[in-house]
Amino acid sequence: MTEKILEVKDLVVEFKTDRGKITAVNGVNFEVFKGKTLGIVGESGSGKSVTALSIMRLIPSPPGNVAGGTISYRGKNVLDIPLDQMRTIRGNEIAMIFQEPMTSLNPVFTVGNQIEEVLELHQPELDRDQRKEKAIEMLRLVGIPSPENRVGEYPHQLSGGMRQRVMIAMSLACEPDILIADEPTTALDVTIQAQILELMNKLQREMGMGIVMITHDLGVVAETCDDVAVMYCGQIVEQSDVKTLFNNPKHPYTKGLIDSIPSFDSTTGGAKGRLPTIEGMVPSLFDLPEGCNFQNRCKSVTEKCRGPHGEPKLTEINPGEFVRCFHPLS
Amino acid sequence: MNIYSYIIRRLLYVIPVLLGVCLIIFILFNVLSPDPTLIMLGKHASKTQMMELRAELKLDRPWFIQYIDIVRSTFTFDFGRSWSTKQEISEMIKNGAIPSLTVTLPAFLVSFVLSISISLFVSFYRGKIIDRSIVFVCVALMSISSLAYILYGQMFFAFQLGWFEISGYESGFPDFIPYVLLPILIWVVLSVGPDVRFYRTIILDEVYQDYVRTARAKGLAESTIMFKHVLKNAMVSIITYVVIRIPFLILGSLLIESFFSIPGLGGIILNAINSSDFPVLKAMTVLSALAYIIFSVITDVLYTIVDPRVRLK
Repeated sequence: MTEKILEVKDLVVEFKTDRGKITAVNGVNFEVFKGKTLGIVGESGSGKSVTALSIMRLIPSPPGNVAGGTISYRGKNVLDIPLDQMRTIRGNEIAMIFQEPMTSLNPVFTVGNQIEEVLELHQPELDRDQRKEKAIEMLRLVGIPSPENRVGEYPHQLSGGMRQRVMIAMSLACEPDILIADEPTTALDVTIQAQILELMNKLQREMGMGIVMITHDLGVVAETCDDVAVMYCGQIVEQSDVKTLFNNPKHPYTKGLIDSIPSFDSTTGGAKGRLPTIEGMVPSLFDLPEGCNFQNRCKSVTEKCRGPHGEPKLTEINPGEFVRCFHPLS
Repeated sequence: MNIYSYIIRRLLYVIPVLLGVCLIIFILFNVLSPDPTLIMLGKHASKTQMMELRAELKLDRPWFIQYIDIVRSTFTFDFGRSWSTKQEISEMIKNGAIPSLTVTLPAFLVSFVLSISISLFVSFYRGKIIDRSIVFVCVALMSISSLAYILYGQMFFAFQLGWFEISGYESGFPDFIPYVLLPILIWVVLSVGPDVRFYRTIILDEVYQDYVRTARAKGLAESTIMFKHVLKNAMVSIITYVVIRIPFLILGSLLIESFFSIPGLGGIILNAINSSDFPVLKAMTVLSALAYIIFSVITDVLYTIVDPRVRLK
């Protein structure tokens, strides 16, 4: 087993809203290993982004707060350390890239300036020229053509894909141990998406960082991840390595997600048939049902799922394979 | 296109605008206004007296010559003499602008720096009790009439406590300082309320942008984020609001100058209005139009410096 660098245990994140308190993340556990990629998959509102932001301690508070659990990075709980110490971790040891490359860069500073800023902060031993050199080197590393010129340009002069490359360059400038990628390709064209994912895979092989890949796209998971956690209503409903998950999904929700990936030679549809969907809506976090959260959309729902036995627990049905279901698929 | 040719071209645009300003002044003062000779001589003046005065004031000449006169005085800055004081108007402006500026310029700078700092501070503590209390104080400060500040300031701080001069002015540095302190203080108190509220809104618009989250994810301290990332983005709106107010500093504040007997341009305008001193009013109109135009050019140039997305077209 490779080195474990991040361990999230029983993470609970709550948000206060006008309608009352909601639990956006409810008892999430996972581990990130050096050089490996963990995918966190789920629909909008399933708590995947909130989980990612908690690791960086970037949950806007108020209204949000981490109500329980631990996040251990190299043995220390990042939820406990003082904020100024957290700042030396952010961008340096744990870095993050965001979904919106259009707005995530500051429009009034050059991209070089923004990469140099993170170096200035975490590698004060570098002087101005060295920082500039490193910024150009990072831009070259992420595949930006003629980085010597691009380094002096502003974000609005770059395309969306280029900006995401700049974001990646910025986050990797200090060679972090962990890269959290919150839907890094959602806002990009499919062709650009493939390039960005390929780039991230390549950089991971070179630098050996652990990646937490937050996405709603199972295609992205298949391409990049080693392990996957599927989230639903703030909880992990299935967790295993990527092969097992795709070949043999145990949770009806996971199966639904996999079945709803458009594919040309799918046995369920082919070119003419209808794409299967998961019927119904995600229940509101204000009004979760008793029993299993997925009951109203589940094809194999029984009386047991609807109440008296409480909600299903996340259980290890095979070594390394966890599922939260009373009736796991075989 | 480089910035210098942009500035030159923008300054060339000033010429047609000034010609338009001259036309409006001509229509207001030479066409629409009542006969100034009637105002100056009273209703018992004889026909010949009026004709003589009209000739003296060059009001008997064809209308396009009168328009040309206005244009010429605008571009040469020679506005002739005041009807009521017979002084050279350009001299009056020069003498009046300095006392006005000794009050308005420091007041403007102090209130600008103070308002920006307070707004960054309250934006940092947005929603917390300190933010709410300061906004409350700002609204309270805004809601009190400026007359109240002037009268209570003069009575309490100047008369009873004797900290400042009650009113008056002495020219020359540093003699004027005791006279301008209270007016400056009142100006600052008057403008801090609305300014803080305005800047706070602009800054809060920026605080929730995605790039701020990116900056936090880089590990930057909140103060760096506020003063570097947020402030520079907010600068575009702040510049619009601030720079265009600078021309009015030259004109002074009518109310403060008249209450504190400061011989500034505000007082000159007030006297000119009361005595229907048309040449002075024309000169002040031209002056404020010119200042306004020039500072809007400056605003546009500053945009290109602050915001790289602004293109020079």
